[in-house]
Amino acid sequence: MRWNSSAYPQGRFVLGCSITILVASLLAFSQSSPNPTLSPAPSAPAPNPQPVLVVIDPAHGGSDPGALLTPESPEKEITLAVARRLRQELGARGITAQLVRDSDATLSLDQRAAIANSAYPLLYVAIHASSLGSGLRVFTAMIPAAGENRGPFLNWDAAQGPFLERSRAAQQQLVTAIQKTRFPVRVLMAPLRPLNNLKVPALAIEISPTTGNASQVAATGYQQMICAALANAIASMAPSSTVRAELQP
Amino acid sequence: LSSRPFVLLAVCLFVLTIALSLYVWQLRRSAAAVSPTLNTPRAVAPPGTGPAKPATLWVAYDNPGALRTTSVSLPLSSERQRRAAELLRALLNIYGAKDSPHRLPPTAEIHSVYFVDPGLVVIDVNSALADGQTSGVLAEELTVVSFVQTLTANQPDILRVKILVDGRARGTLAGHADLSGVYDVSQVSSLAKQLSSQ
Repeated sequence: MRWNSSAYPQGRFVLGCSITILVASLLAFSQSSPNPTLSPAPSAPAPNPQPVLVVIDPAHGGSDPGALLTPESPEKEITLAVARRLRQELGARGITAQLVRDSDATLSLDQRAAIANSAYPLLYVAIHASSLGSGLRVFTAMIPAAGENRGPFLNWDAAQGPFLERSRAAQQQLVTAIQKTRFPVRVLMAPLRPLNNLKVPALAIEISPTTGNASQVAATGYQQMICAALANAIASMAPSSTVRAELQP
Repeated sequence: LSSRPFVLLAVCLFVLTIALSLYVWQLRRSAAAVSPTLNTPRAVAPPGTGPAKPATLWVAYDNPGALRTTSVSLPLSSERQRRAAELLRALLNIYGAKDSPHRLPPTAEIHSVYFVDPGLVVIDVNSALADGQTSGVLAEELTVVSFVQTLTANQPDILRVKILVDGRARGTLAGHADLSGVYDVSQVSSLAKQLSSQ
């Protein structure tokens, strides 16, 4: 039995459309997918290395004041002031820093995580302030129960899981550098969001007074001293190629 | 002549409607008389009536931001849910005292503790506890870890702990410690070691 094309005009039309769609799809795929033969060799040195980026997250803000350290100093104002100083100190050491918020804006924890994750920084640092205790506390994430990643899909509540070792390495290096200045500093975990939602090395730093007086945390001189110590510690991590390799997401 | 049955029917329906309205009004009055008792504050649970037994409490100390274990003897119920609540109330008695090492308001209360097998425990605290908690990462995690460790030290079959405030899920305890998830007891134990080493 012979194929009589004139007897099936609809069939010819469908066949023509299908071939057109197939060819268009192949062309689009070949343009969008990375071609290993056309991409530069991975061993080739980049002409301009990417600048080291640190994302600083001043906790709270807007409708969330955080802790009330003194009647005039809600935590959100102290964290923003410290974050801006830290950005300045890092910039003076050749490290680019991006603030998650640079105003009294209300941001959800998910929004903060999304901003940090999309920036692919070398390190994420959340800033908190408290009247309790003495000196600095450097926290890594505490992943909640049943938070596990399945295959290529990251559980949002356990996204930090694969990066936790690198976060702890960064925590240890940061604390070791600060301890050289004899400033009191502690290493801890914390059930603190958005640390567990981050897919980059992530730390939270809580600043508290050394005198027992909460107003010290709001003092410019104290903030400046802490930011300089933190910036020195981060800078001491950044230039080392081994540290960079460990930290790079 | 033919309209008489309809008139009778209409009168009966009218009387029935009035009677039912009165009945509904009476029901609403009686319901309103009962409901205030539902809104009155819950009586604080009586202290444990069982024989005194040895127990371990993980007590938080704001200065220097650490946890310490304390061995005590408490009258504890033989029923594990009541026993768990009694242990946490013993902690709250310490935290609500004048010379408290970790200040929580005296109105802080444990509503109840539920065991959801296998191994999940739900602690329901009142909002006075959460609202009166000192806000801060370390301050809040001291409270959470002291609760979880006190339960697991005395009832080792607990694997996971969920904390509710007034029966509802809450994002954080007082702005920092995450309450949205379920705490893994082994991870809390690791954090307790860090907090005890100070």
